[in-house]
Amino acid sequence: MEIISQAPNPMTDEEQVSSEYLTFTLGSEEYAIDILKVQEIRGYEPPTLIANAPVFIKGVINLRGTIVPIIDLRIKFGLGNIEYTPFTVVVILNIARRVVGVVVDSVSDVISLTPGQIRPAPDFSGTFDTKYILGLVSLEQRMLIVTDIERLMTSADMELIEQVVD
Amino acid sequence: MAIDMTQFYQVFFEESAEHLANMEALLLELDVSDPDAEQLNAIFRAAHSIKGSAGTFGFADLADTTHILENLLDKIRKQELILREEMVDAFLEAGDLLRNMLEAHQGQGSVDETLVVDICNKLRQLSSNLDGNESQIEAGRSDSASGASFDVQLPVNSNNIFDIQFVPNAASLANGAVEYLLAELNSMGKVEVISRPEKENQEIGGGFWRIKFHTTVAPESFTEQVDFIADSGAWRISNDQNSLPIDNSFGLFEQAEFETDDSYGLFETIPSAVQQSESSPTQADEGYGFFDDLPAIGITLGDGAPSKDLLSEEQEENVGYGFFNDIGETENCPIQSGVGSNLEDDSRGFGFFVPLERTSDDNEIKNPMPDASSSELPASDSGKEFVPEITKLANSGEPRASRSVLSGVAASGDSSIRVSVEKVDQLINLVGELVITQAMLLQTASLMSQEAPEGLANGLAQLERNTRDLQESVMSIRMMPISFVFSRFPRVVRDLSGKLGKQVELKTSGETTELDKGLIERIADPLTHLIRNSLDHGIESPANRISAGKNPVGTITLKAYHQGGNIVIEVGDDGAGLHRNKILSKAREKGMQASDQMTDSEVFNLIFEAGFSTADQITDVSGRGVGMDVVRRNIQSMGGRVEIDSMLGVGTRITVRLPLTLAILDGMSVAVGDQTYILPLSYVVESLQPELGDIKTLSNQARVIQVRGEYLPVVVLHEIFGLKSKWKMLTQGIMVVLEADGTKAALFVDALVGQHQVVIKSLEANYRRVAGVSGATIMGDGHVALILDVSAVAEMAKSSIQIAA
Repeated sequence: MEIISQAPNPMTDEEQVSSEYLTFTLGSEEYAIDILKVQEIRGYEPPTLIANAPVFIKGVINLRGTIVPIIDLRIKFGLGNIEYTPFTVVVILNIARRVVGVVVDSVSDVISLTPGQIRPAPDFSGTFDTKYILGLVSLEQRMLIVTDIERLMTSADMELIEQVVD
Repeated sequence: MAIDMTQFYQVFFEESAEHLANMEALLLELDVSDPDAEQLNAIFRAAHSIKGSAGTFGFADLADTTHILENLLDKIRKQELILREEMVDAFLEAGDLLRNMLEAHQGQGSVDETLVVDICNKLRQLSSNLDGNESQIEAGRSDSASGASFDVQLPVNSNNIFDIQFVPNAASLANGAVEYLLAELNSMGKVEVISRPEKENQEIGGGFWRIKFHTTVAPESFTEQVDFIADSGAWRISNDQNSLPIDNSFGLFEQAEFETDDSYGLFETIPSAVQQSESSPTQADEGYGFFDDLPAIGITLGDGAPSKDLLSEEQEENVGYGFFNDIGETENCPIQSGVGSNLEDDSRGFGFFVPLERTSDDNEIKNPMPDASSSELPASDSGKEFVPEITKLANSGEPRASRSVLSGVAASGDSSIRVSVEKVDQLINLVGELVITQAMLLQTASLMSQEAPEGLANGLAQLERNTRDLQESVMSIRMMPISFVFSRFPRVVRDLSGKLGKQVELKTSGETTELDKGLIERIADPLTHLIRNSLDHGIESPANRISAGKNPVGTITLKAYHQGGNIVIEVGDDGAGLHRNKILSKAREKGMQASDQMTDSEVFNLIFEAGFSTADQITDVSGRGVGMDVVRRNIQSMGGRVEIDSMLGVGTRITVRLPLTLAILDGMSVAVGDQTYILPLSYVVESLQPELGDIKTLSNQARVIQVRGEYLPVVVLHEIFGLKSKWKMLTQGIMVVLEADGTKAALFVDALVGQHQVVIKSLEANYRRVAGVSGATIMGDGHVALILDVSAVAEMAKSSIQIAA
């Protein structure tokens, strides 16, 4: 439950400023999100249920006095085994001046990527709409899906934020 | 203008609103037949302060209207005019108008210009009523002039020539007020324009005007017009040298060397002011440097506000009374800030800029002012730079002056600070966290039971006490006495009873009862409505009251007190009372469910239904049947309740119960499956374990439960929330009878857990609104519990039944 430092270490690579990304796994897929959106990482604790909420919204927890909704991305994308173990991790995100928790299978590491390394993703449709994908990165044998987490979380799909037209 | 005034606007708005409220309260207290001098002075000061700061901040409309108001007030407090009921009415109207203007400046609503003109005219008319017996009043005044050897009755009708100089303000430039002024002056005499600005609209100052005005009228009839259009205080009227006869007729005014004052004196730069103060035997204090050139001019009327007005002595004589006091009278009045000055001085010099001792005299009569037109523009510029300083003076001077007269009022001024509500709310939130943390610690320690060292247990007990005290103190910051609301009702009652031709006395008690600021703001409208209702429907006309053997003067009582963690506010009247049969027949007419078997309180509750009114005639006060339902809804949205007691012919009493605060809620925690929910205690009527025979079904869908002869719909919480109950049978759990929006329902839960005070947290901050949930809180174990929105849950149950059917 360490708090990851939010200060990026700016490095130049091929004259391009690299940014740091947090990578996590959902099932067998590996995702990367901008680390500046991450507030902290903590273990999973059973949240308080919210009646009649979508299944992927697990409920709300008390994060030092703030009521924070918890979303299980595995349920949302239908990935991996939905089980909660002592190793299940909640990434607390700070998005659009809101605090949101995201349940993932595990957090891998923090990597630096330059914009040049991120390749455009092929267009395909599915539960994970490509509009939330900034691109793909191959790193050794791994493929990372670089995600626009802010856009994803504020989208109408997530039902997190009351939409203006409702 | 280097200083951005806008940053002070909010303070100005708040202060002005306070002054207005204060003025209104004093006006209402005022005994018209025998007004108290202290009260009149206090009213005057309130108006004066508004005018002063409005002028400083450039709200010309406010300043102008207040100025007229102030003139009339001044005449009254000097007993030049006898206070009449219609004046009080006019003052109150003017107060409303000023409040509108204030709101308009804050971007809320707009001001009806015709109303402004109407009220200004009315006030002017009232204050000009004395013109006929002017000299008599003048005589009276000089009698009362504290022994000053001032016995001059100026022949006002001698053909005077006034030298009028002014710099119009931006507003009056914009609406052509200067031309209007000239036209007006023309109607009173002959106007010669000596100099006028070349380009009128060149800049904010507009430019300098100088007019020679031949007239027979007294200067007070036009000084105020000049003051209106002039940039705050940038005007001067002096009698020209042609009208000399008065010269030595004032024994008071010795001839002294006359220091020519360049430009307006008013716009003197500080260094020269200091210089002059050195030469002045009156040791004018340097804090007032701005005004220090007064000795040169002779008479200064520091009225304390930024609109400083200098009148020449001669005019002073002519004016006699008028707003700007004659210095000559206040003989030997030392220069000081008025703290020690007696009331007489205070009323003249107006507190802080106490007139200079009249040692250096004004010989302006003989020494015409040097032509100031050459230097006036730079002078007025420098004058503007000093405006902030004046404001400072006015601000610092004001409380002192008022303290010397009204010690009770002033006491609150210094002993409080203005803090933004956000800061207080943040503090309250933090203390809420502390309370939760403390509860968590306590719970953990209790798990250790025997093993816990004694020191830990003692420390925790101490911590609990301290956090509770801290929480109470912090919550009390947001608490305000309910007099903030009550204070507006004397006015409401007065206006309405006049309009309805009823005689009503309002009695209030418990004004010091404290209530959360958020509630104070929201309770005002419902209470106003209840009072209007009592006046319109409750209290009978005097004739009816006499024939009923009652005192023709009706009484409305307004009471506030604490009762068991609630604030209770009672609005009672000794009027006709509610007519049970009339309500019943009206209800049937409207197609509402009403039977003769209903209890009185149920019948009376019908008046809270939308569209219900027993008034035979719709008046502009009430009777449209909108209102009581809104009252109830508003009160319920605050977590409160309304009850009615009434007896036909004796009166009606409406009782409003409110929680102490919006941030903390008395809740009952209930368990459903593995979840805990909080029910606001104010909705809970009772709870019971149902017997098998009590629960019946309707058309095999909706369940009802019989409680004390009533059939209540059953709301099964775990069904509507999609949870798993511990129990299979309804008889195993608990039914909590809830009352919301006048209807009752039984909520089925697994078990009652306990009763807590919970700190309300918003779900919407990071999530969204959830149907059936009004908020969340953090329990002692650190878990989140949702607070149920009782009326929404009842609605959900209804709609789910409909879907099922």
